[in-house]
Amino acid sequence: MSAETMARPPLDKEVLSRLEEIFGKDRVLTNQTDLITYSYDASFETQLNPRKPEVVVIALSTEEVSECVKLANEFMVPIYPRGAATGQTGGAVSTKGGIMMDLSKMNRILDIDHRNMQVIIEPGVIQNDLNEALKPYGLRFPPDPGSANMCTVGGMVSNNSSGLRAVKYGVTRHYVLGMEVVLPTGEVIVTGGAKSKALKSVSGYDLAHLMIGSEGTLGIVTRLRLKLLPLPVTRGIVLCSFKQLEDAGAAVNAVFSSGLQPSAIEIMDFNCTKAVNMMKPELNLPIDNEAILVFEVDGAKEEVSSQVNRLKQVVEKYASHIQFSDEPEECEKLWQARKLVGAAVGLLKPGGFRVYGGEDICVPISRLPETLREIHNIADRYEIVCGIYGHVGDGNLHTGPVVNSNNEVEMENVQQMIDEIHDLAIKMEGTTTAEHGVGIVRAQYMDIEHGPAMEVMRAIKRTLDPNNILNPGKMALPN
Amino acid sequence: MKTLTPEQSMYTCVRCGACRGVCPTLNITGREADGPRGRVLMARSLLEGEIPVNQEIKEQLDRCLLCSACVDACPMDVQVPDIVMLAKEQIAAATEMESFHPKTLRLDNSQNDMKTTAKPVRGLKDFLFDKVIADQKNLNKVGNLLWMYQKSGLQKVTRAVGILKFFPEQMQQMEQIMPEILPPKKRQQHPEFTPRAKEQTEARGRVAFFQGCIMDMMFRETNDNSIKLLSKAGFDVVTPKSQVCCGALHHHSGKTDKAVELAKSNIAAFESANVDYIITNAGGCGAAMTEYEELFRDNPAWLGRAKKFTEKICDISEIIYEKGELPELVGRGERVTYQPSCHLQYVMKVKDAPAKLVKSVENAEYVDLPEKKYCCGSAGIYNMLQPELANEILDRKMEKVKETDSAVLITANPGCYLQMKLGVHREGMEKVIETKHIVDYLVESIDRAESKR
Repeated sequence: MSAETMARPPLDKEVLSRLEEIFGKDRVLTNQTDLITYSYDASFETQLNPRKPEVVVIALSTEEVSECVKLANEFMVPIYPRGAATGQTGGAVSTKGGIMMDLSKMNRILDIDHRNMQVIIEPGVIQNDLNEALKPYGLRFPPDPGSANMCTVGGMVSNNSSGLRAVKYGVTRHYVLGMEVVLPTGEVIVTGGAKSKALKSVSGYDLAHLMIGSEGTLGIVTRLRLKLLPLPVTRGIVLCSFKQLEDAGAAVNAVFSSGLQPSAIEIMDFNCTKAVNMMKPELNLPIDNEAILVFEVDGAKEEVSSQVNRLKQVVEKYASHIQFSDEPEECEKLWQARKLVGAAVGLLKPGGFRVYGGEDICVPISRLPETLREIHNIADRYEIVCGIYGHVGDGNLHTGPVVNSNNEVEMENVQQMIDEIHDLAIKMEGTTTAEHGVGIVRAQYMDIEHGPAMEVMRAIKRTLDPNNILNPGKMALPN
Repeated sequence: MKTLTPEQSMYTCVRCGACRGVCPTLNITGREADGPRGRVLMARSLLEGEIPVNQEIKEQLDRCLLCSACVDACPMDVQVPDIVMLAKEQIAAATEMESFHPKTLRLDNSQNDMKTTAKPVRGLKDFLFDKVIADQKNLNKVGNLLWMYQKSGLQKVTRAVGILKFFPEQMQQMEQIMPEILPPKKRQQHPEFTPRAKEQTEARGRVAFFQGCIMDMMFRETNDNSIKLLSKAGFDVVTPKSQVCCGALHHHSGKTDKAVELAKSNIAAFESANVDYIITNAGGCGAAMTEYEELFRDNPAWLGRAKKFTEKICDISEIIYEKGELPELVGRGERVTYQPSCHLQYVMKVKDAPAKLVKSVENAEYVDLPEKKYCCGSAGIYNMLQPELANEILDRKMEKVKETDSAVLITANPGCYLQMKLGVHREGMEKVIETKHIVDYLVESIDRAESKR
């Protein structure tokens, strides 16, 4: 248990008995084994420093959430809302003991209002499950993080997540029409119009958008009204490799200025290419290059074929090798290269594991080649092998260093390397996080990134959460 | 062979959560400790001595079905069931052995509050595993006793007297769904060679049939039908006399020595059969035998032989779908659904073959079972050990079965078969839904087609 966990006096016995009244005995967990399993998320930080809560509750309704928050205010106990805990930032773990609130069982899809292109759900619904349920209606909820298979939509909203199709379809923020949210003092409000089913509204402050990306520090989302789009009919893939990083950068520019709008533009460096070839030798990706770009286009069938052809013509000038298809099966094969990369980088070092740290920087597209080279320089200096991939269409780079957990020097070095990557992002006029969030791990950069704006954020937090009950110790807000 | 040992594999988990969506117990309770990621964390904390050996951790680990759905979903191939087993073995060792010295692991045994199992119970378990399941002759005798119990009227008497109410609820229910045991004269040795049905056409292959232990006693008809089906599909079938139990139960309860002994007997028995494939009709046995190599990691003399053996293991649905040619199949206008065996779909990776075969039956309609990814809760003897959770899993499963409005519920493993029959029984739907092994369903459809000709 980390040192900061015990900064508060231990939980009052009365809190436990009152929690049992609210949730019932079965959904209030205090076993040591249970607390251990809730002291992690998917971050490297919690692997190094797991943080135990004092009690876990599994919430099933807005009323329970609200009652629990009121109780927490009465006894001044912190609450940490948590979905599937697939995050990389320590955002969903305890910092000062307190109550861990698991919302993953609030996972009902309440109303698929297909005629109005919207859906109402509880926050624990898994992104993919939602899209499976929407499929029969020919609709979808577009934001698609790599963790779509396991992450909750509530978590996506709290972190304003996005994924590789953000370049065309934007981020979670663009699809939230309204929400029911339990405020840090326990009141329940509905934003985006309490009874509205409108697709657009400019009435009043946009409180929903204040909540989006607030990482559970300003409220607990208990219901969501989301905007939907039609499913694309089909897609096409162009996979090309480049001798030089700069050629890849130039190709991306050329594609944008040609008027094409790809639904994804993904980059993989030479190490990622190597790793994917190790995992799936039959993909046989070209290796004599510095980077591979994977373009995806979508739309109606004829449109896709013509887009694939035009894309091919545009990139031909820069690429050393091109593969393409608009046939579903072949596309799936080409797309595998990108799909596997996250898991494959772990193979770059036998017995090693992939560290998620410095994994989410975003820089201006024009500075991508330079940034990529610089990250490799940093890695070389620390003698750490890493693969870099990302969403080049919006400048978002995922760095995957691979280390051995029993090599102490490496474990020390990789942490310094992470800090340098974050500093680099700011130097390149970028940001330390584009889609994963701040949580614990990037709190130290908040003041640097935001300057005086940070004081406004702190003032908002103090106003809505005077007792600092909700997810304290995150995002460099008052602790 | 798996590239990582359970211990190594435990450290490759990055807690990404990809396993969360497929775990049957997490699906019920939503509690992290009831999911694969939580189990890996608990096992690791236990083996590193961070949490002590005690009843609490044992009970928590016992709730895992070991269904392997999480391994199938894991991008890093983390072997969760092996990790859970490793932790459970260490708990058992710390509790049962008087002088316990963990070697590489740093178990904290200072707060162990578990009672050692009473000697008679341990003795009975040893007797069952070593002398009954592993010995075909003794198993046959048990079969005779069960047959007598059913045929002599004793079953009727016990039911009428109500003596069963003194047994746990699970056992009472199991007694009621027990399949009818065939009389001893119908449970003779299988013919050692059964040629393909149409001897004038070229054989689709020469295969060996693995009969299993309990399978051959309790589900003899399904085994007879399996040989018949393989023959009808164009295969020459060898059923080696010297084959023995697959050893899965022994391996899973830590009796590795016995498991190795059984594996060696089987490897030798099937080597002399000289076949292209070794066919199983029980997902559990098939999966155990595809993992024989694990037993010989440190035994180069046997490793090669084990590898050749495991490469030949093939499920009956898979071989028939991939290489066989079935005659005409006709249904009776029924709607059919399929609950996969976890070991078949997640360990042997046979996902669609049974459903595809059912779809080839004329005058029958196949419908997909929603949430078929979830284990039915049978999982060996899980339903006896964790009745509460197993019942919740089963009730949910039956809800989905009812949604399909099917008349036939297909299974591909004896454990699943019994569990589904139990579910149907609990719902009082025996007259509406018939539970069937895929093999029996296909043979009946062939017979129906032949009789109509």
